[in-house]
Amino acid sequence: MTKSQKCYRLAGLIFPAIAVLCALVAAGMMEPYLAFVATSWIIFGLLGLSLDVVWGRGGLLSLGQTAFYGLGGYFGSVVAINMADLFGNSLLVAIPAGAIFGAMAAAVLGYIIFYSRMGLLQSTILSYTFTLLLWSLTQTFKLEVGNAVIGGDNGLSNIPGVVLSIAPNSESLEPNAVFAAVVLVSAAVYYFTYWLMKSNFGKVIDCIRLDVEKTELLGYDVRKYQLLNFAYSGAVAGIAGALFGLWSNYLNPSIFSVQEALLVPIYVLVGGLGTLAGPFVGACLIGGLSFWLGSGSAGGQTTLMLGVVLILLVLFLKNGIIGALNDIWLRFLPDVNEAAKNSSAVRINVAVLEKILQQAEAQAGPAKELKTDKLLKRFGGVIPVNNVSRIFVPGQPYSLIGPNGAGKSSFLKTCVGIYQPDKGEVFIGSDNVAQMSIFHKVQKGMGVKNQKPQVFSELSVIQNLWIAAFSRTRSEQDAQVVSDEIISMLGLNKHSDVQASALSHGQQQWLDIGMVLCLAPRVVLLDEPAAGMTNEETRELSTLVRTLARYTTVVVVEHDMEFIRTLEGHVTVLHQGEVFAEGDIETLRLNERVLDIYLGRSKHV
Amino acid sequence: MELDYLASVLVSSLSSASILLIATIGLAVVFGLMGVINLAHGEFLMIGAYSALTVTQLGLPYVLSIPVAVLVTMAIGAIVEVLIISRLYGRIFDTMLATWGLSMVLYQLAVLIFGTVSPGIGMPQYNIQIGDYNLAGYPLLMIVVAIAMLVFVYLLMTKTIYGMKARASIQEPEMAQAIGIDSTRTNTLTFAVGCGLAGFAGAVLLPIVPATPSMGFAFVIKSFLTVVVAGPVTLTGSALAAIGLGGGSSITASFMTSVAGDVFFFLVTAIILWLYPLGISAKWRHKL
Amino acid sequence: MNKNKIIGSILLASSLLVTTAHADIKIGAIFDLTGGLNIYGIQQNNALNLAVENINNNGGLLGDTLVVKSYDSQSELSKYTQYAKTSVLRDGISAMFAGLTSSSREAIRPIFRKANIPYFYSSLYEGGACDKQTFVTGSSASQQLSVLIKWAVEKYGPRIYVMAPDYNFGTISAYWIKKYAADNGAEVVGQDFLALTVTDYSPTLQKIQAAKPDFVVALPVGANQTGFLEQFAATGLKDKIGVVSTNYGSGNQQVVVSPEAGKGLIASQGYFMSVNSPENTEFTKKWVAKYGSEIPIVSGAVDVWNAVHIWAAAVKEAGTAESTPVIAALESGISFKAPNGIVTIEGGSHHLRQNIYIAEGNDQHGFNIIKTFEDVAPSYENEKCDLVSNPKLVKHFTP
Repeated sequence: MTKSQKCYRLAGLIFPAIAVLCALVAAGMMEPYLAFVATSWIIFGLLGLSLDVVWGRGGLLSLGQTAFYGLGGYFGSVVAINMADLFGNSLLVAIPAGAIFGAMAAAVLGYIIFYSRMGLLQSTILSYTFTLLLWSLTQTFKLEVGNAVIGGDNGLSNIPGVVLSIAPNSESLEPNAVFAAVVLVSAAVYYFTYWLMKSNFGKVIDCIRLDVEKTELLGYDVRKYQLLNFAYSGAVAGIAGALFGLWSNYLNPSIFSVQEALLVPIYVLVGGLGTLAGPFVGACLIGGLSFWLGSGSAGGQTTLMLGVVLILLVLFLKNGIIGALNDIWLRFLPDVNEAAKNSSAVRINVAVLEKILQQAEAQAGPAKELKTDKLLKRFGGVIPVNNVSRIFVPGQPYSLIGPNGAGKSSFLKTCVGIYQPDKGEVFIGSDNVAQMSIFHKVQKGMGVKNQKPQVFSELSVIQNLWIAAFSRTRSEQDAQVVSDEIISMLGLNKHSDVQASALSHGQQQWLDIGMVLCLAPRVVLLDEPAAGMTNEETRELSTLVRTLARYTTVVVVEHDMEFIRTLEGHVTVLHQGEVFAEGDIETLRLNERVLDIYLGRSKHV
Repeated sequence: MELDYLASVLVSSLSSASILLIATIGLAVVFGLMGVINLAHGEFLMIGAYSALTVTQLGLPYVLSIPVAVLVTMAIGAIVEVLIISRLYGRIFDTMLATWGLSMVLYQLAVLIFGTVSPGIGMPQYNIQIGDYNLAGYPLLMIVVAIAMLVFVYLLMTKTIYGMKARASIQEPEMAQAIGIDSTRTNTLTFAVGCGLAGFAGAVLLPIVPATPSMGFAFVIKSFLTVVVAGPVTLTGSALAAIGLGGGSSITASFMTSVAGDVFFFLVTAIILWLYPLGISAKWRHKL
Repeated sequence: MNKNKIIGSILLASSLLVTTAHADIKIGAIFDLTGGLNIYGIQQNNALNLAVENINNNGGLLGDTLVVKSYDSQSELSKYTQYAKTSVLRDGISAMFAGLTSSSREAIRPIFRKANIPYFYSSLYEGGACDKQTFVTGSSASQQLSVLIKWAVEKYGPRIYVMAPDYNFGTISAYWIKKYAADNGAEVVGQDFLALTVTDYSPTLQKIQAAKPDFVVALPVGANQTGFLEQFAATGLKDKIGVVSTNYGSGNQQVVVSPEAGKGLIASQGYFMSVNSPENTEFTKKWVAKYGSEIPIVSGAVDVWNAVHIWAAAVKEAGTAESTPVIAALESGISFKAPNGIVTIEGGSHHLRQNIYIAEGNDQHGFNIIKTFEDVAPSYENEKCDLVSNPKLVKHFTP
């Protein structure tokens, strides 16, 4: 690795550190009123960071960040007011209180959004409504908590300033010192967030943004991760709110207003979505611009200009300033996807595969059978899965065939849980899993590959495999061992650092299958795995499926009759949601009734 | 509780629900046919109201100002679609953010052009009596207007070539492309129709809600929620959601307090979204 | 005594020094010149500039020119905090004139208290603000309602319905209506608090009809709530039930409301443009010459005009613009011949004794004054807040 590559990898650590040092030096020299105003920019940057965590990383545009910010601010300030007489330091009491309250509010809203599995658009609108609802409710909300008086629209005054000394009733800091303190607190939150997003938790969050369904198919409880991430963003927003309360000494329902809420995505977009440091850059730029424009005629049109800026950013500068700089820098670094350009066909090494499958059996237990009992799924008047009762056992591959609309894929999806069954049972081994969530079934030993290759486009090949293996092993080293084995079995070693999106379609299919193997599944469901593969690749796939079937239960949905023939397994013909015929492929080929439905001849249609 | 009070509450709640439906239907059309939530919807309502107001101030009768308002908002809607929305096709969050920015721009422009206070046009001094209770006539007329709007949108979607193209583009986008439907043009028209319906709403509600730059805000929260609760089926879904939520909250407000009415609205919305995360009509088979 | 004399002469000397140095006297102004509240803010700012011009044309203050440091808070609360702090840290102002909403006042009050700079708040409001540096030149809710409710009960009868916005101004006003109703042998037969975004008033109208009041106290805030008056008239209730208000007209709502709905509405305020006095004629002449006559002058503008002149009078009396002597001079009970009659600062409560007018809406988007109550005291504030005997008091009293 060259020096510049190292520097690039550590950019998120180095440049913010330089910025913090500059800010601290500036704090000693600034005019007090400038220090006072600039403090608010840093606080807004922190608020922007909370959105970047949930939107840039988690993939959900939340317009509710100012709600957590406001709630954290109110709660932190109430605690600070009441503790002022007992314990001087207002930072030490307001920040934890704000963080906890912000996180709790976000957790409540997040629980509704994620556990009801609400659509993205609906979630955004609900978060926006949550903010607006708070805005109107707080206008009349009156409460006295000890010395703190929350007076509806008249707000909460007498919030102490930033106090560091521990003695009761100490004087608050001067503007320049407040600026330095806020910079340090924000830096601490930034670095913690940076670490969190680099951790295994952050990796799963990235996967959820890229493909939430695939992440769940790897056995991760995505709802839990999304909820935790949302709660964390609420905590960051709450810290920003507490700092804001100490900065302005006053809070009022306008903190929940549309104008406030509008600013947060602007900060994030100006700086760069998903960059974590971007929101601070955005907030300082926007704040500085508004400060420079002053309160003259131009300054009065701030809202107008911000509206225009938002539209222009969305249209033309999606990645923001840091994103644009990042793109320029990347041009000077060697291309990680270079290796993808000269690739050869995948060859399965059966001996290695068998070794892997034996290890998997040793770790995950013997193969389990898959059983459905009177499984039924209906969409309005159409019944794509009609009372299907089947048992699939290990030893030989099972193929499901049938003409278009026969219900093959629907049957598979109902078994997986992508469709909720209306009636009937699904068993994996002895466990009834019909009503379980997808990730839970995966944890019970189910491995699924859907028709289209599902890989995490921005992650490298080895990272894709690692995140799949980690779901099962829950140990970084073990996951490394498993993913190394699978990548060499697939012969993709040379492509280890290539981004999944740079792979060819066929290679993505293999990578997807490799991810399923990392899970050491006891039951494997494959939906048209040969789609888009060359003849050579299809042959390799057939070898893989046959080997796999000796160690696990394998069910394949496929159109390609030649492929099915090479599998030499048991074949079930589905028609109109029901089992129509079964046997081996040679017998079925001679079956008139099967030919009738395939050719659309009237007798059995 | 006397019978005449009950009857007057029911009738006026129906008119409240109709007003909500009138304000919502343009948003629902855009959401149903383009999958996009137009966060500047309230501001298009405001543009409609100001257009109608300006035209009446120039001396035209109020009834004639309504088509003018529709044309103005449709034109602005079409321009916005071509300049902004069409470039963001398939990026729903970005579309939402852009329309959000647009709402701020339009709001601020209205403050600059019209100031924050403009004269109202007054409500027709006509009322009906149920027992001891009087009801203003114009809000009751809104029940008829709402029904007329539903019928209009239904006919537009089923009987016109545009309507069939629009529905084809949303239901079978690839097939529509294959048979040569230009989805870009259809989308421009859909967005313009949605904005035109908002403009119509602003104009027709002008006697009830005076024109101010912030008037859109009074409607949008409940309109957004109505559309989200309704789900993808434009007409029946939003009519049902508007009657249930708007009528229900109005009845609650009549028997309890106005605040209780609002709380009813938001609570029921949260419960429905919990039960139907994609809206009540997400699994319906018919699509209008 | 001696000590006071010494301090006095030191102050005098220092003020002379200032005079000889010919430094300008700076005052700060923060009003909403843009955004949703600029209907009030622009007029308040205009009134301030007009008053400063008036003072400078008449020889300035203590021989110095008065200079305004003006800020536009853009109808955003966070800007108030920012500009208040900036004016203290950078501009070195001698007095601050700012704010429209109660929240804007509460946001910046602590800043001027800490900096010990007299702060003038000029808008009608719910009442009860009390600290050493804050002076209020608008009328408070109890000040207006005490005379209005008595008058309305005599005119219409004893059954009262309250329609109020759902925040401090509304709920506190409702309290005073209840109290003054009881004092005058009347009763509140129903009340409804409405969110600022409500546009559909049929539930309220049904409840009003069920309660059968003699008159309704309507306190609409913002343009949406003026819709209530339209719907009230269109329902045909205006002929049976009276409507009175303490804030109708304060934001030129009479311009928004149609003549059919606006005619006959009763409004009570500390100032109407149609007040008949030589001071008002003079004031409106100056105003129209500078700003035109398109938009009627609101009471908040006159409250600012009064605030600047009262402060200037206090500076003259103190012989300096220093905060402490100016506040002492203000507390001595300064009077001013204002466009809306003679106004007097109450030393204890820092609120204003002033006339309260009762006016009836006409069919030309204007008001006819039908009754004048002279020199009405801010009795609630006087009762609770005595900053002369208790200078350390910092409260926002609510009943």
